[in-house]
Amino acid sequence: MEIEKQYDQIARCNRCGFCQVACPIFRATGHETGVARGRIALLRAIVEGRLEWDRTLEEPLFACLLCGACTANCFPAVGTADLILDARSQYLDQVGRNKLHKLLFTHLLPHPKRLRLAARAVALGKRTRLSDIARALGMLRIFGRDFPRAEEIVDRFPERAFRDSDEPRVVQGTGDLRLGYFVGCGTDILCPQVAEATLGILCEIAATVEIMPNCCCGLPPMSYGDQAAARELAAKNLRLFADGRFDFIVTDCSSCASFLKKYPSLFPEDDPRHDSARGWAAAVRDFPELVASTASGSPSRPMETEEVIATYHDPCHASRGQGIVRQPRELLRSLPGVEYRELPEADWCCGGAGSYALSHYDLSRKVLDRKIDAVERTGANLLVTSCPACIVQLSYGLRKRALPVRVCHIAEVIG
Amino acid sequence: MPIVQAISERFTTSERDHYTKRLFAERTTTMGAVNMIDADLLRRLNQIVGRQHVSAGRADAEVYSYDASLAVAAPDAVVFPADTRQTADVVRAATRARVPYVPRGFGTNLSGGSVARRGGLVVGLSRLNRVLEVNPAGRYAVVQSGVTNLELQETLAPAGLFYAPDPASQKVATLGGNVGENSGGPHCLKYGVTSNHVLGLTVVLPGGEIVQAGGPALDPPGYDLRGVLIGSEGTLGIVTELVLRILPSPEAVITMLAVYDDHGAAARSVSAVIAAGIVPATLEMMDSTVIRAVEDSKPCGYPRDAAAVLIVEVDGPVAGLKHQAEQIRWICMSNGCREVREAKDAAQRNLLWSGRRGAFGAIARLAPSFLVADCTVPRTELPKALAQVAAIAERHRLAHGNVFHAGDGNLHPLLLFDSRNPEQVTRVHQAGDEIMRACVDLGGTISGEHGVGMEKIEAMRMIFSDHELDFQRALRRAFDPDDLLNPGKITPPDDGAAGVGLAGQAAGFRVQGPGLQDELTPVDVAEACDIVRRACRDGVVLLPVGGGSQLDSGVDSTPRPVLLRSTGLCSTIEYDPANQVIAAGSGTSLAVLGEVLAEHGQWLPVRPPGGGHRTLGGLTASGSSGPARLRYGTPRDLLLGLKFVSGTGEPIAAGGRVVKNVAGYDLTRLMTGSAGTLGFITQLTFRVSAMPECCTAVEASGSFDRCAAAAAELIQSKLEPTLVIAVPDRAELKADGNVAWRLIAGFEGFRETVDSQAAGCREIVDRVGLDVRPRREYQAKSGPCGEFFGLLQRSPFRVKANLPLDKVAGFVTDGEALPHEAAVLVDFGCGRILAGTESLTDEAWHRFCKTSHQAAGHAVLEKAPTEFIKQHDPFGTPDPSWQLMRRIKAVLDPHNVFAPDRVPKMK
Repeated sequence: MEIEKQYDQIARCNRCGFCQVACPIFRATGHETGVARGRIALLRAIVEGRLEWDRTLEEPLFACLLCGACTANCFPAVGTADLILDARSQYLDQVGRNKLHKLLFTHLLPHPKRLRLAARAVALGKRTRLSDIARALGMLRIFGRDFPRAEEIVDRFPERAFRDSDEPRVVQGTGDLRLGYFVGCGTDILCPQVAEATLGILCEIAATVEIMPNCCCGLPPMSYGDQAAARELAAKNLRLFADGRFDFIVTDCSSCASFLKKYPSLFPEDDPRHDSARGWAAAVRDFPELVASTASGSPSRPMETEEVIATYHDPCHASRGQGIVRQPRELLRSLPGVEYRELPEADWCCGGAGSYALSHYDLSRKVLDRKIDAVERTGANLLVTSCPACIVQLSYGLRKRALPVRVCHIAEVIG
Repeated sequence: MPIVQAISERFTTSERDHYTKRLFAERTTTMGAVNMIDADLLRRLNQIVGRQHVSAGRADAEVYSYDASLAVAAPDAVVFPADTRQTADVVRAATRARVPYVPRGFGTNLSGGSVARRGGLVVGLSRLNRVLEVNPAGRYAVVQSGVTNLELQETLAPAGLFYAPDPASQKVATLGGNVGENSGGPHCLKYGVTSNHVLGLTVVLPGGEIVQAGGPALDPPGYDLRGVLIGSEGTLGIVTELVLRILPSPEAVITMLAVYDDHGAAARSVSAVIAAGIVPATLEMMDSTVIRAVEDSKPCGYPRDAAAVLIVEVDGPVAGLKHQAEQIRWICMSNGCREVREAKDAAQRNLLWSGRRGAFGAIARLAPSFLVADCTVPRTELPKALAQVAAIAERHRLAHGNVFHAGDGNLHPLLLFDSRNPEQVTRVHQAGDEIMRACVDLGGTISGEHGVGMEKIEAMRMIFSDHELDFQRALRRAFDPDDLLNPGKITPPDDGAAGVGLAGQAAGFRVQGPGLQDELTPVDVAEACDIVRRACRDGVVLLPVGGGSQLDSGVDSTPRPVLLRSTGLCSTIEYDPANQVIAAGSGTSLAVLGEVLAEHGQWLPVRPPGGGHRTLGGLTASGSSGPARLRYGTPRDLLLGLKFVSGTGEPIAAGGRVVKNVAGYDLTRLMTGSAGTLGFITQLTFRVSAMPECCTAVEASGSFDRCAAAAAELIQSKLEPTLVIAVPDRAELKADGNVAWRLIAGFEGFRETVDSQAAGCREIVDRVGLDVRPRREYQAKSGPCGEFFGLLQRSPFRVKANLPLDKVAGFVTDGEALPHEAAVLVDFGCGRILAGTESLTDEAWHRFCKTSHQAAGHAVLEKAPTEFIKQHDPFGTPDPSWQLMRRIKAVLDPHNVFAPDRVPKMK
């Protein structure tokens, strides 16, 4: 929706400034354009005719992590992240869009096979140092302003993705449920070991687990402001659920889970896809949510002999996106031989935020540094979370600091 | 249903345009049009802070055009210095280019104080975000001004410490901003506001000079610059670093919810609790609108049918706390309370508080915008004030709610509206003005903690005369002669009503009457004004005098000036026991005041050296305090307001009679400790308190080292001693040789608490290996150490070193620092060492100064023969801030009529 139509929502910001307390970007920059109050003020200035759509708005609109911490600290609960998404969309229409993103969103993300192929090319590039050459030639810049520096965030690109075909694969388990396993792009390509662990646990609670041939959930284009592309991806995925053959659709990526639950909002109510999106959303479960709710007894696999001190990072899309806070902590506390320590500012964004680092490397690093400082203070040697983007980002931060902390998806820890 | 209307109202385009124009009425241009910042200045700013820390785009102007108030004005550029040095360079550059500049923390100001009213530069302090030092033994922390209040609390909490002021915005408000506004918060009822907890400031003055105003050591010589800067709303200087007092967090907390069917009964309970001598940590009130809004948004167990609730919290030592809670319950119940609930555990306490903390939020859901008004009335007038607020809101058809600091009489009516509707905006402003007027008429003031800024600037005329405003303008000129620092705030424009203005009055005085004699004792203010005017005319120097105890205090007083005695002004002007406020003439002695107060079981908790003969005026002008300052503070902490005759013979009133008051510059603190150099104090209004039930001294003797160890432990413990001193354990207090010392710790308050505290103290001294003596009870009025002061007073030479608390013991054991054969009193609790001697060599004085200075403290020559003073500097090691003090003196006392020699200067 155009932001002009959201004047009421915008006017609810009474400029108290409390959003500043938990905004990771504001804490890093200290600049008012980097916080909800400032961003809303800019939108208000557009609505009231003091500002026009032009390039000066790019940074304020696109430097937002969309983590939602502002809304959680906002008295009238202004939904800044949603306003920013709409504003980005309008910005792209008015000021222009990046052709490469168009390519990515319409030709790559809808097709898991092509995406895997592209990933293999990158993996090959990294191993053969081709990417160094590309960087030297400045070629990588086309992927994003800061891509050349951000490229090292992913340490090693797995040679093979978790899924190797576009056909559904059904695995038999020992439980009762019929599950669809929605494999997020990040899990599939960057963290196949997480997918293996997830599958193992799902098989304990399900009679059948279908590894779905889904494409991207649509969150990346949505975040970028390309709502049409996001809708297309969602529609494509919805078709996989048409016959309602699953009790639950489970994913081990909290970002995907959060967005999958929002599918109904992508389609107007008179669109037939709206209803199927509602059925879909009702079936979607984030991994920790499902595991905690299926009382299959607490997992009791003994940990390694070394002393394990675990802490937990809340992905934004788990805590604020879905209200999943209690479950992962209970799971971790129930593990034998593991000491759980709460992470200060556990629900602060790590700065991963999808592909944020590709365009805002320095800001992303500052946000990450604060997170890693907090991790260091806990003295933990195991950092658990439930989103592949967070895993990649947190691993990068720990690697840069050479801290002896392992980052794991919660599926890897309890499996 | 105005609330629903407010939300559902739609606006036409023309209304919107109108609003937009109003918003930018102050500056019709945003950046890019008429820009004050030329290329040269921009280049210079880029050089100073780096290009990435200068913002000068249109979007930047938009997002720095507001704060949390309704005020709007766009700056031309925003610059983010990294440290004090860069801030000074930025200020210097702006001054040279004659461009206005405004300091800004995180922009949560509620009166428009951080908005660039005349455009120019916003100096953003968000990069000054480090906690530099936490020193538990010295009881202070050093922070940069862009650190938020909550960040400091979070740094302190793991060490069992806290910083007392806790404004509701503490999550996002910076400490620099807290200083600018003199912030309070729920806990300031017991602990006091920001100015009671700031020890020192690093300030960039207009023009770019950097000065230190105070520091970890108390009472730097000269004017209380930090007192003047606190609450000056960023108009006198830019604070870049702060030294803050930190305290051990209380041992226990009891939180109660008192439920009322009538908000008048709730307000009466508030007065009754305080009148009973209990000082709760908080006394917060919410009315039915807020209660229902809270329960609708996030339920926390407030009864929906209640007319009002109070959140009452007591904290402190475990012993006696339950008793206090019971007393409060009893007082509330006998004042028409329905029920009192007590939080059983931390979870319940948090739930009770979550409603209070979420109150603004809950209200914010009812309408797009709300205005938080901020007025203070005497506590006993709360029922009237609430009734008037309701009537005003109704008259202007505005929904409203009340959630406020009832214990301080500090109202925060919330008026609901829609900022897009110009007509509603007008009504809200009118209602806000009327609420201020009503509170002023009830004996209150226009701002308790949110400041004057730009929104209340015209309301300043409600409470100050033209002469008083002129005096405040003059003070501002002493700091900022070019009027470039945050212009258009606090002081309303001079409309010429006061005549030619302070500086212009030098031309001459048409006053009748003969020349002045050696000594004058005016009997009223008019006579005092007349005397000052004649002195100006004749070029006579006046020396204000009270009891005369400070006449020979460390200043060269030849040629002998005319003594202006306050002893003719000795009546009690107003005593309001229920509000615990007393106003009296400056010539009133402490003893006489004490008798008046004793009739109601109250007292003024100061025990300065010199005892009951000291006059209130003298006490204040000299800023004297005894060791009980540790618990009760000094006159500066207890004064609510004062009146004085200025250097041009005008009567000036400062402050008022309410406990929270941030309207205008803090002249009360400027006058306190000004040693009669800025005016002749005629009347003082003090906050008084209930006489403690019991006073006990724990005494023990042993080596100095053990005394010091026990004192250090005591100060860092959860015990709350009133005073902690040590003296050599012999009649004449001589410290030389391997003499034993006597440690004295005083405890005052409710008997049960005092008994348990004294026992805890005895454990500590015993553990350290001191010989504990039999317990000694003493009178609250005289205190346990009057005899020592008597002895020190009689010495021909008296010197004092003020030191950070953790440097006191080292100073004494240094061996070289103290003059030989000196009688010594070591005040561990306040970081002071007093020494009296029969003689003082140049070298001994020099050593004393040097050692004090090296320990981040300062030395003062309190008393010496005139010959000695002539050759030495009684104010110890010179400090750059003295220049500023002399500018203040020159502007406020243009004829140099008052005690010119008492302002520190480089000799």
